[in-house]
Amino acid sequence: MEWWEVLVQQTINGLTRGAVFALIALGYTMVYGIIELINFAHGDVFMLGLFVSLSWFTLLGVTKTLTGWQLVTILPLVFILTMLTTAALNVGIDRVAYRPLRRSTRLAPLITAIGVSFMLENLALLWKGPAPIAYPDVFPSVDILREWLGVDSAIFITTKDVLVVGATIPLMLALHYFVTRTRWGKAMRATAQDRETAQAMGIDVERTILLTFFVGGALAGAAGLIQGMYYNIGMWWMGYQAGLRAFTAAVLGGIGNMPGAALGGLFIGFLSAWSDQYISARWTNAIVFSILILVLVFRPHGLLGARPAEKV
Amino acid sequence: MTRSLRWTALIAALLVYPFLDRVLGLQTVHAVSDGMIYVLLALGLNIVVGYAGLLDLGYAAFFAIGAYAMGLLNSPVLGSPLYGYPWSFWLCIWVAAAVSALLGVAIGAPTLRVRGDYLAIITLGFGEIIPVAIRNLGDITLEIGGWRPIERLNLTGGENGVNPIGRPYLPGVPFETDPVPWYFLILVIGAGSLWAMSRLHDSRLGRAWMAIREDETAADCTGVNPISTKLLAFALGASFSGFAGSVYAAKLQAITPGAFEFQVSIMLLCMVVLGGAGSLKGVILGGMLITIFDRVALAQMTFFVRWIGRAVDVQTLATADLTLWRWFFFGLGLVLVMLLRPEGLAGRRVRPVAPGDDDLDSPRIEVEPPARAAALPGWLRERVPRGAAPASAPILDVRGVTRRFGGVVALNAVDLVVPRGAIIGLIGPNGAGKTTFFNVVTGLIRPDEGRLVFEGASLAGLRPNAIVGRGIARTFQSIRLFPQMTVLENVLVGEHCRLAATVAGAVLRPPAVVAEEARARGRARELLAFIGLDGKEHDLARNLPYGDQRRLEIARALATEPRLLLLDEPTAGMNPRETETLTALIGSLRRELELAILLIEHDMEVVMGISDRITVLDYGLRIAEGTPAEIQRHPQVIEAYLGTGYEREPHA
Repeated sequence: MEWWEVLVQQTINGLTRGAVFALIALGYTMVYGIIELINFAHGDVFMLGLFVSLSWFTLLGVTKTLTGWQLVTILPLVFILTMLTTAALNVGIDRVAYRPLRRSTRLAPLITAIGVSFMLENLALLWKGPAPIAYPDVFPSVDILREWLGVDSAIFITTKDVLVVGATIPLMLALHYFVTRTRWGKAMRATAQDRETAQAMGIDVERTILLTFFVGGALAGAAGLIQGMYYNIGMWWMGYQAGLRAFTAAVLGGIGNMPGAALGGLFIGFLSAWSDQYISARWTNAIVFSILILVLVFRPHGLLGARPAEKV
Repeated sequence: MTRSLRWTALIAALLVYPFLDRVLGLQTVHAVSDGMIYVLLALGLNIVVGYAGLLDLGYAAFFAIGAYAMGLLNSPVLGSPLYGYPWSFWLCIWVAAAVSALLGVAIGAPTLRVRGDYLAIITLGFGEIIPVAIRNLGDITLEIGGWRPIERLNLTGGENGVNPIGRPYLPGVPFETDPVPWYFLILVIGAGSLWAMSRLHDSRLGRAWMAIREDETAADCTGVNPISTKLLAFALGASFSGFAGSVYAAKLQAITPGAFEFQVSIMLLCMVVLGGAGSLKGVILGGMLITIFDRVALAQMTFFVRWIGRAVDVQTLATADLTLWRWFFFGLGLVLVMLLRPEGLAGRRVRPVAPGDDDLDSPRIEVEPPARAAALPGWLRERVPRGAAPASAPILDVRGVTRRFGGVVALNAVDLVVPRGAIIGLIGPNGAGKTTFFNVVTGLIRPDEGRLVFEGASLAGLRPNAIVGRGIARTFQSIRLFPQMTVLENVLVGEHCRLAATVAGAVLRPPAVVAEEARARGRARELLAFIGLDGKEHDLARNLPYGDQRRLEIARALATEPRLLLLDEPTAGMNPRETETLTALIGSLRRELELAILLIEHDMEVVMGISDRITVLDYGLRIAEGTPAEIQRHPQVIEAYLGTGYEREPHA
């Protein structure tokens, strides 16, 4: 492999990793923006999304690679079912563990979030067992450059890479449209800026928060499904690492800022892929966090985050 | 009496326990000692999270540093030149604490600009970096173009960790074979740490931490240096984990990087919050509960559930293994405790602010006259120096101050002079730049242009707390007290910059510090009596009625021993009677202390009544300056602010 082929290959790897991080990070950043909670359980919702999507595939009788018309019927259906399941789960978590603590100190819901995270991981462990679970190869994998274009290259791009990007971008665009162009989105932005004023303007704040958890959970579910189809493996403990990376991405972009979360996710994806290649995989975590610290030292509110004006 | 009895019983129980354990053959001393190490860690974290209010998600990093400091210095196996000569355990624990404290400062220093949850993520980052670094530094090969200056150097033992680690040596004490000496060693270290922490909490430093936690900006403007205060919290919090880590390493005889992962940080945070952040008793309770649950309860419960299952002949129960559910029950416990007691098991219960509270309080204000009984405290009169500089020189001289926010010119070449002992009114419509001017003078905002001279020295580039030190104090338009601190503590924070106790002083309490603290409390009480808040010293500031909060803010400002006082709408929201009392108080401050006062006020009767001269701002521009009588007739002021017909009002 030529040096530039390595670079292109690792950049593609970074893109697919980053797209998944970005989807998870969006859920973190939305929840943080609206109730200022670091939702530790969010990474585990992503992990359950993977297992839940596997169950939906099984229920629908899919055990082999999807073909032709199945790709346009079953796959979107599983996307929707998975996203609805994790969205409902996320809303349920909020109802039970966070909502009673809305007027409490900031630390209390943080601890319940940690508690919920432990419970979800334990449930997944009991459900699927301690060993990694094989995720069936439901999405067809085609080597695009060689098989379709006839180009002989060391670079390896498959239809799965296209799937990740092709599923992530519409989801993000839909989210962007939802937040900036709809009544509900306007209510969310208003509530995030000032909950009390939003309430005074007649916005049902609790319903808006519920909606935020719903959308965030749905995105985490989609991310879980994509992850499963791409890597064909699922572990009960994967939510922790993915959640940590995604939360880092959200902070890097400027927590509460949605384009920032997407950007941060991609940034972390590229960074970790390049670091794996050029430095050493065993140092990657340290490098990701060192860069995060450096960015925050020079831009204390993240890449895109605005410095909040403090009224004195 | 009962208190000392309870203490005696507690100490006796702690001393007898290991021998009782041996007699009964329970063999729990090991587990309890380990639990005490985690409690000590949680107590150290409590300084950072509970006292100073800085969320730390990577505290296990300090634990790791402490343990590895012990492991590397006191292990005979590693290959580097430093090793092979194990140092004494008794030296190593101090080295470990010092190294941890240094690292606390190193981590704290670059992050001081970062606030709130961004700080949390940085600590999380360090918590991730440290174990990764420890793993990888066990096998370093540096290659530069075929030349290998370092080949397979083992600094930390890598994934395998360090093993063995030397035990402490005391003549005749069997640390090798017996858990009891360890129990007592940890008990002594823990008790010493607890003693130091409780003394720190009730000191000048402890109050500064809590002030930062409650309101960093207000603390800065009350003379508390947020940077050094936060760094000290990081350093001291880390040093206790240095002790805990080094004892842990020596007791376990082996350490691996896996023992210091994120989960440990999270567990420690849970201990702190579960028991009640900020409360020493609470943290001990939280730590003990979590450790006992983890080590003992689950195994016992499995036994118990199986016994029930066999008794009632239910197969699922008889073969259940609850240890598989360990994290589920742990998480469930966290959720339940937080839902039932959000402030922690032993935390101070906080009454939620109901919208009706003000209505309840206001009739009481009418009944109880807020008149002050006591005279101006004598100490304040002595401590405020007068006549140091020639009386003709102004105390504050502001020339051409300009400040822009984007396209808005909030202050446009504003001049303002405050003569010694004068009351200067600053008026103008909303958004005229009055509060911005205060923020520039107190250092919260840097001016784009212009110069500020106070007592003949420039204020350029000074942080708010340094400006308080020079002798300028302020109040805020929207009251900014330290709500979860008592009335007395609020005033004591004001005295912070005039007190000298250091960390060592706060812990060891030499006579000078004891005297200083007693004097400070006496002064604070006198000040509260003067301002009319005597008898409420131990109320939480947030529970005071509105007018009292305003007065407390003035008392806090006076406690900094200012020579210039900046009052931002002091009578806003007060009833006529309170306004009258406050106006009289401001007048007496000037008369008796020769205190210069700069006053933003919308109540024209107050401003016109007590100001010597008045400056009028409009859209950041000074449109008029003169005596109250001149201002009332000034056509531009009438146009921009007062409105026609005002000049007749006071005489009507």
